[in-house]
Amino acid sequence: MSIDIEAHLELFRDMTLIRTFELSLEREFKKGAVPGMLHIGVGQEATQAALAAHLQASDAFFPDHRCHGLNALAEEKHAGTGRRIMAELFGRATGVSSGKGGSLHSANPAVGNFGDNAIEGSYMVTVLGVALAWKMRGERRVACCVIGDGTVGRGEFHESLNMAKIWQLPVLYACVNNGYAISTPVAASHASGDIVDLARGYGFPCVQVDGNDIEAAYAAVQAAVDHIRAGNGPYFLEFKTWRWQGIFSGEFRPADEVRYWKEERDPLKLARQALVTRGVAAADLDAIDAEVKAEIEAWIQFSKDSPMPDPAKAVADVYVGWEVEPR
Amino acid sequence: MTASATPRIRTYVQALNEALDLAMDRDPSVFLLGEDIGQMGGDFGVTRGLYNKFGAERVRDTPLSEAAIVGICVGSAMVGMRPVAEIMFADFLGECYDQIVNNAAKMHYMFDGQFKAPLVVRTAAGGGFGGGPHHSQSPEGWFLNVPGLVIVAPATPADAKGLLAASIENDNPVLFLEHKGLYRLKGDVPEGYYTTPLRQAAVRREGRDVTIVTAMKLVQDALAAADVLAQEGIEAEVVDLRTLRPYDADTVVASVRKTGRAVVATEAPKLGGLAAELSATIAEECFKDLKAPVLRVAGLDTPIPFSLPLEKLILPGKDDIVAGVRRVLAARA
Repeated sequence: MSIDIEAHLELFRDMTLIRTFELSLEREFKKGAVPGMLHIGVGQEATQAALAAHLQASDAFFPDHRCHGLNALAEEKHAGTGRRIMAELFGRATGVSSGKGGSLHSANPAVGNFGDNAIEGSYMVTVLGVALAWKMRGERRVACCVIGDGTVGRGEFHESLNMAKIWQLPVLYACVNNGYAISTPVAASHASGDIVDLARGYGFPCVQVDGNDIEAAYAAVQAAVDHIRAGNGPYFLEFKTWRWQGIFSGEFRPADEVRYWKEERDPLKLARQALVTRGVAAADLDAIDAEVKAEIEAWIQFSKDSPMPDPAKAVADVYVGWEVEPR
Repeated sequence: MTASATPRIRTYVQALNEALDLAMDRDPSVFLLGEDIGQMGGDFGVTRGLYNKFGAERVRDTPLSEAAIVGICVGSAMVGMRPVAEIMFADFLGECYDQIVNNAAKMHYMFDGQFKAPLVVRTAAGGGFGGGPHHSQSPEGWFLNVPGLVIVAPATPADAKGLLAASIENDNPVLFLEHKGLYRLKGDVPEGYYTTPLRQAAVRREGRDVTIVTAMKLVQDALAAADVLAQEGIEAEVVDLRTLRPYDADTVVASVRKTGRAVVATEAPKLGGLAAELSATIAEECFKDLKAPVLRVAGLDTPIPFSLPLEKLILPGKDDIVAGVRRVLAARA
């Protein structure tokens, strides 16, 4: 069953926004305007757009390090604009964490963003606490954590899935399997290159999805969220996908593989083809492209125009209620 | 808190149990989790009876998943709960170090105050009973360098109750160290709910000649040492830190300015520990008042062996404090 055309167009728009966000951000990073490190999610737009479509502001998600797009979409949907995510990456006072968190630690509970944690997988056990509290209080919400395939190597992966099952917690695991943990192929890291194989032993629904097919991803997240909201306990999704960004010093992956994923499996190109097949005019899709590009440039300008954080922020909020002396 | 003429004698374990019981009665967001804390009541009996009173939802047995135990504390605290975890032995804190250091302690700061982590991680610390290398350590030094974390370490039954209640009420993450050598210690414990302020050291004994700064079980050893020294005409002041991070430097400094001499005692090894930190602060703040160099009495720079005579050689006690004070009194700055 194909999804409603309006929803389909919305997802296309959201994916375009993620791609544009990431590529524009990378451009600014290369110019030196964005400090620190940068991990972009180009190629993985479908999983993030599908998650953003189904998670509510009253849910919680713990994004991973390539989730700028998901974070920005959550801001847009629940706070009107995604520009405070961009400003956070620029380290500005107008960022969601006032510039104290950056790419790897931006949070905004008002839109359900419970913050990334750059210790990959660490939040796999944090999410249990959110889910447990809601279950104890009888609140029907979804606590989602987005992880990569590399995180499966962490002990927390297993502690988390085990306890989510024994306590039947409302946790959605969204595992974005892009084939590599930095440079190490998934098959060299894990007992199975298919992460669902490892998750299934914990005895709750585990589904593998084509992470580059937005319609499949959208439907899979819908089914998972419905299951969890109905009080049926945890759910595991593995999105098979591929990241476009090489790593630090360039591309190490086989040329055939790079060509295949970029040319034949580009999630945006696939979504565009599907919409054209459904009768949407290419010009309408181009218009979405242009509108999104203008929007992202406005966010970048907003970030550059925003002030740096107040120096008092450096020693603020170390403790609740207690001050730390400035230098 | 009611003052009574006749002392209400309870053990340190009973005092902790009363604090948990009363805190859970007062606040439905308080719940407990840990290994074997339910019907069994925990390895040392601190949670005894609470499972029957509050049920399996609020007194939760967990698998041997220390990272998850503390992770669940952090996550549930982010959405308004006040979890209290039991990590059976402090030596196991390595298994949840990341959750305490990178998550609980930084949550409030890195997300710009948007989340709080009001949680307590209780754990049994310290040696002296033949627990061996993995059931005897004093872990405070592993955590002293972590901004955002509070470390509380009561030395008496009354403080065990009041400081645990205060830790549960506090909006910051608290690592709560219970010395195994104190669990059976008896003392006057006030009835009903009360809190003892965090970040306030207690002067356990006043004296004019030397200040002994310490915490946990060594407070009892320091008081015993002070009795011995008093027979020689040496009056030692004993400062019980109670909160190890952020600690009450004012009380320490005021005492050393008065006595002009300081012995700092910790069970943990000397290198990089609490004793080093206190010595540095005393040197910075009291240099002109010091009549002798600050002396550290600490555990030797070794793991803790199993065999009791060997363990006794490693861990400091009353006699080491007495000897330390005599050295400080003999020395001149």
